[in-house]
Amino acid sequence: MIVASRDTDFGPMIQVDMEIKSFLSMWLYCDQISSYLARMVSHNRSDSVRHSNLFSSVANELLEVAFRTRHPDGELACRVSRQGRVDRIELTFPCTPEERQFYREALSQIVGSATGDRYMNSVSGDLSPSREVVLLELAVDYKAKLRLEETEADTIKLVVDLPLEDLPSEPV
Amino acid sequence: MNPYDLIPRFRAQYDTNNQEFSISGVVRPQSIDELAPSLTLLKESIARVRGILYVNIRRLTQMNNTAFHAFSRVIIDACRTRPDLKFVVITSSVVGWTTRKFGRLHGLEPNITVEEYDSQFYPGQSFLEEGGFIPILRTQTKMTWRHERKILPRHGMQPGIVMADICCGIGDFAVLVQKEFQPARIVALDHSRSSLDYARSVAADFDIRGIEYTYGDASEMLLEEDQFDLVTCRHSLQIFNRPELILKELFRICRPGGRVYITNEKNSHCLGEPRADSIQWTYNEVAKLFKHFEMDVELGPKSRRYLIEAGFEDIRVESFMVTNGDGDPQDFADVITAWENVYAGDMAVRRGDDPEMIERFRQGFQDHIFAALHPKGYAGWPIWVASGRKPS
Ligand SMILES: C[S@@+](CC[C@H](N)C(=O)[O-])C[C@H]1O[C@@H](n2cnc3c(N)ncnc32)[C@H](O)[C@@H]1O
Repeated sequence: MIVASRDTDFGPMIQVDMEIKSFLSMWLYCDQISSYLARMVSHNRSDSVRHSNLFSSVANELLEVAFRTRHPDGELACRVSRQGRVDRIELTFPCTPEERQFYREALSQIVGSATGDRYMNSVSGDLSPSREVVLLELAVDYKAKLRLEETEADTIKLVVDLPLEDLPSEPV
Repeated sequence: MNPYDLIPRFRAQYDTNNQEFSISGVVRPQSIDELAPSLTLLKESIARVRGILYVNIRRLTQMNNTAFHAFSRVIIDACRTRPDLKFVVITSSVVGWTTRKFGRLHGLEPNITVEEYDSQFYPGQSFLEEGGFIPILRTQTKMTWRHERKILPRHGMQPGIVMADICCGIGDFAVLVQKEFQPARIVALDHSRSSLDYARSVAADFDIRGIEYTYGDASEMLLEEDQFDLVTCRHSLQIFNRPELILKELFRICRPGGRVYITNEKNSHCLGEPRADSIQWTYNEVAKLFKHFEMDVELGPKSRRYLIEAGFEDIRVESFMVTNGDGDPQDFADVITAWENVYAGDMAVRRGDDPEMIERFRQGFQDHIFAALHPKGYAGWPIWVASGRKPS
């Protein structure tokens, strides 16, 4: 999806860099990094505990996506920045050309009104969720806006804008 | 790798008596295999129940999509093979994502419904929330603060600490503490969205920063354990039917060596002169009235016992009397008027008291006001303060 604001409008908050090899050595890194980032960026939100809980859910899913990369060479970078009420997660990680194409297609499909239905069909269908479904869920449940940014070959950069401050707290 | 990382951070249980399967904690497996025992338990639970299976996820703080799909699949499949069964998923409004995410299952299988457990919360919530009580809480805090600001340092309050005020109401106490003691961080938690909105707008208006107002349930908080130097909980243990559960949570989030500070009343000990008898009669009735709604406004002097039983040490208890002589006697009178409105005008009516009873009940409040405003009168409202240290 195209996001109107330019990157320069987002103020950097925190960044975690890691060799992808060491990242892939332990699944629990996904949880630990997401919890850490969530704690660091949430304290000045209107409800720090709620924000941290939601942010951690999203960041963890993204890191789990990166964990499934088939190109275990290079760097993982997870950067969080903020513009007003929107938080941005930029996740850069190595991937194969096929994966890159896959993400391109997956993200182009996360538009339109039937996303919720498509997400639910996957719940009743597949055994475990594909990476595509995971990204779809972020759009459906967290109103995340996702896009790809061009990077050098063999890496991919997912840019995810999260309007958590404006996510209704009561179910609709 | 830290060996503690291998300890599963979630728990699944089945309670036969309540036909309730519950799963709590952080569920972020790499593959479904890690969930095998819990999924088997869920399947066995389904095989055993009749009618309704309750799926309790109130304390489920995180669950990744891998786990969500796995559990959902078992439930969806069961709906198809056992159309006689209904599933009620119990979520908590405090964990932002659960109701929305699990709520979608209803769209797939109408036999799955989702209920948010804490919509109707503690016995007296509605009385306080609906009763226009907000300005009164403000006046009450102003009156108690004169005493507490001197008392607090004896209970662990000092500059630079990390503290939490649980059941913070409209947040005035946190603001006063911020100004007077400059703690490094204050988390202020309450279960009333309207009070928190009010607190946030006050903070914004007065440009007060650094207080983290947060929506939560004091009996099951999302706050991590062992993190606060001081945890305060004022005038609130007394409104829960099971105060020990709240205290357990206060204990959990307090760091070892830190303190938990509570204040409570003993309403039957409110007093005044002249017209002492009528006043005393009414406040004895107040205690009975709250008891009827499962709240113990006589809790103050029991604080010591509660703290000991919750595992605290170095317990310190003191009491103070808010009186009409502390500041403007009209403030005292305003508070009593608000009490009269809520207790006699609302709660006693809800209990089904007859008009004569209510009239006599109101009279004691009127006499208390009379004593407060009388040039030679004295009116008092006693408060018990207690704190304990969490063992290191
Ligand atoms: C009597 S008021 C005390 C407020 C404040 N501490 C004061 O002294 O003004 C009790 C507060 O507890 C809050 N409360 C009730 N149930 C709660 C729960 N389960 N979790 C957190 N707060 C709760 C109410 O919303 C209310 O603000």
